[in-house]
Amino acid sequence: MSGNTKLKNGLQAFLDERFNISSLLQIADKKKVPIHKHAVWYYMGGIATMYLAVQFITGILLMIYYVPEISSAHASILKINSKIDFGWFIRSLHSWGANLLIAILFAHLFSTFFMKAYRRPREFTWLTGLLLMVICMAFGFSGYLLPWDDVSFFATKIGLDIAAKTPLIGETVANMLRGGEHIGQATISRFFAIHVIVLPAALLALLGVHLLLVQMHGMSAPSSFNDLPEAKQTYEKFFPDFFYKDILVWILAANVLFALVMLNPWGIGPEADPFAPAPVGIKPEWYFLSMFQFLKLIPPMVGPIEGELFGMVLMGLAALGFVILPFVDNGKSKAWSRFATIFGLLILTGMILLSIWGALS
Amino acid sequence: MNYPIWVVPYLGGPWVIGIMAIIHIFISHFAVGGGAFLALAEELAYKRKDDRIYQYLKDHSRFFVLVTTVAGAATGVGIWFTISLVSPDGTGSLIQIFTLAWALEYLFFAAELATAFVYYYTWDRIDKAAHLKIARLYFIFSCFTLVIINGIITFMLTPGKWTQNHNWFDGFFNETYWPSLLIRLSIMFAIAGMYALVTSSRIKDPEFRTYMVRFCAKWLLPVFILGPILSLWYLHEVPQATIDTIFTGIQTSGVGNFSILARAVYLSLVLSGTVILFAFFGPYLNPRGFTFRIAILFMICGLAVTGTTEWMRELLRKPYVIYDYMYSNGIRKAEIDKISQTGFLQQGKWASGLAQGQDNPTARGEIVFKYQCMSCHTEKGYRAMQKMLGERDRDSIQSFLQMLKEHDKDKNPYFGIMPPLAANDDEIKDLAAYLSTLNQKKQSDASR
Repeated sequence: MSGNTKLKNGLQAFLDERFNISSLLQIADKKKVPIHKHAVWYYMGGIATMYLAVQFITGILLMIYYVPEISSAHASILKINSKIDFGWFIRSLHSWGANLLIAILFAHLFSTFFMKAYRRPREFTWLTGLLLMVICMAFGFSGYLLPWDDVSFFATKIGLDIAAKTPLIGETVANMLRGGEHIGQATISRFFAIHVIVLPAALLALLGVHLLLVQMHGMSAPSSFNDLPEAKQTYEKFFPDFFYKDILVWILAANVLFALVMLNPWGIGPEADPFAPAPVGIKPEWYFLSMFQFLKLIPPMVGPIEGELFGMVLMGLAALGFVILPFVDNGKSKAWSRFATIFGLLILTGMILLSIWGALS
Repeated sequence: MNYPIWVVPYLGGPWVIGIMAIIHIFISHFAVGGGAFLALAEELAYKRKDDRIYQYLKDHSRFFVLVTTVAGAATGVGIWFTISLVSPDGTGSLIQIFTLAWALEYLFFAAELATAFVYYYTWDRIDKAAHLKIARLYFIFSCFTLVIINGIITFMLTPGKWTQNHNWFDGFFNETYWPSLLIRLSIMFAIAGMYALVTSSRIKDPEFRTYMVRFCAKWLLPVFILGPILSLWYLHEVPQATIDTIFTGIQTSGVGNFSILARAVYLSLVLSGTVILFAFFGPYLNPRGFTFRIAILFMICGLAVTGTTEWMRELLRKPYVIYDYMYSNGIRKAEIDKISQTGFLQQGKWASGLAQGQDNPTARGEIVFKYQCMSCHTEKGYRAMQKMLGERDRDSIQSFLQMLKEHDKDKNPYFGIMPPLAANDDEIKDLAAYLSTLNQKKQSDASR
């Protein structure tokens, strides 16, 4: 036996005794991934997890220098960008990474939806995924204000003003988030706490449940695969075959992030002045743009109801559709299946068109 | 100034050359590296008497011949068109200095094309030993095109003793000739391997596919092992001022103020790392799972790193088109002082012709801008003057332009990064008058 093999076996025995590695390897050995033409979408979850890890690491590094105080927040970001060695790099990774993470989550959400992976017994995997999406968007919203530049200030102001229109709880929630009637020190403190403590804790807990459910139920396959005779259904082992390919995709996804950071580092606008007029044509981040544009299209009054309120109710109903569908489209009714596909296509097309419209207008 | 101007709005002329050149580099490198691959793989088939490899090579060579001959020739001619329109003075100089080399390059290119067609159309028509000889001949001819063009490209950054004795041979075999030749060869082998991985990933027989994927992956080894050493050798030979520019870029990039060169360096390093990791986790660790899609992505990464590295190499030469001899705007270094005294619009057939009878200062300034600034800047697009000038008024632009005339780094921080401005005081006033029309504040005020 060579020295290397001896060392390897010794290490394996040491770890096995303490962490029961062999049973974990047995589980990994049993895990398999269906092979079909839509299998490329299986990589989205992995990419999202990788980007999330980047967010956590860069977020922790940014916290070392960021000061959540109204007169220092903007200056501390300026310092990170121009005084701290490679601070611009870490900040750009965080900002570009956040955008890429949300883009990949959209791809993950809609690919899962159209492959009908929400059906029994995976309803709760789907619902935890939806909640994770909401949490990540909340990350985006809360993090956007922290640099305290003029665009982030006014975009947050508009966002909270719209949220305040939510029936019953809107005004209370908006005031709680703002820490009063106006955006100020209290808002930064609250947004910072939400961004670095509340949301990460909620995300980690939910992600744990989401991943556990994915492991319990295995990889979902589309009906085109499930309808095949068993002999024609082919699989590959998750470990190591799919895992090696997953690593390749992570490398590529990391490359996209690095390329964006190198070619177009994230900048910062002038410091926010709450008493100045809002800059012309202010818009929220791209992932809120479709909702923003949708609300802009609705007239001030729809019958007796205020336009923005009416728009929010409609968007709420659409969101509710995503929550309810797993329980009605269980794979037994073709009509429900078709309805779900059309519903998803309508929402997706609407979001894309409204976002483009919003960006161009 | 001796030729008409080709205005490419937003993108700028240099990027037209850049895009065309990068596509041509992909194809030409593939042509040389692929030639070596065909010859060595056919030798393997010949020695092993393996018909599977022969069949694979027949399929592989169809696309190879089509791409390298048709697209290679089209983009090659495209480069001549674009460089002669965007940088006619530089192109003229290179033709005059290397007339014999260009003629030889053309000769070898014609021989390369002829051999490629003979190679493809004689599959199964001549005996295997003779076919193998044609494959080797193709590689030799394609190598000679590299051997010649490499001398001219490296001359542009390191003209060597040519600047003193004007002997083309000294300019040709310059300081960076050998490291550049070896780096290019290793990159060519890598590109050939990556393309062959794409075709190998489509082989149906799993056992043969695994064999070929591993064989193709080995073509990346030269660049992984020798690449860093050769790059250091290359950097050791480039002018000290260029090295200083790189280091200044890296040092200042630490605090966010980084040059385009620094960005290109970082991107090239990151992408190179990606290719190494990709090759390890892909064809090396998991050859069976190396599918067609993954192979395509791998090739895109490889081409991206090649393109970025070429971009970085081009940036190393700035602000010259021929180092220490001719600036990127086509003005020779030796002419700058004379032009600054007598005036730019008196020089050259076209520049003086356009300025003749033109009394409007803004219009005269625009002519100076187009000849001296547009080789790097556009009005509103890439490296936009409008963005760089911001809200500066005419007087502050004029002071800035006066500074750009200086040849002393202490007085002109852009000296060595940009060509010194070659214009007399009246022309500087005219140029300032023109540039102030791009002032962002003025335009936003007018729109209100």
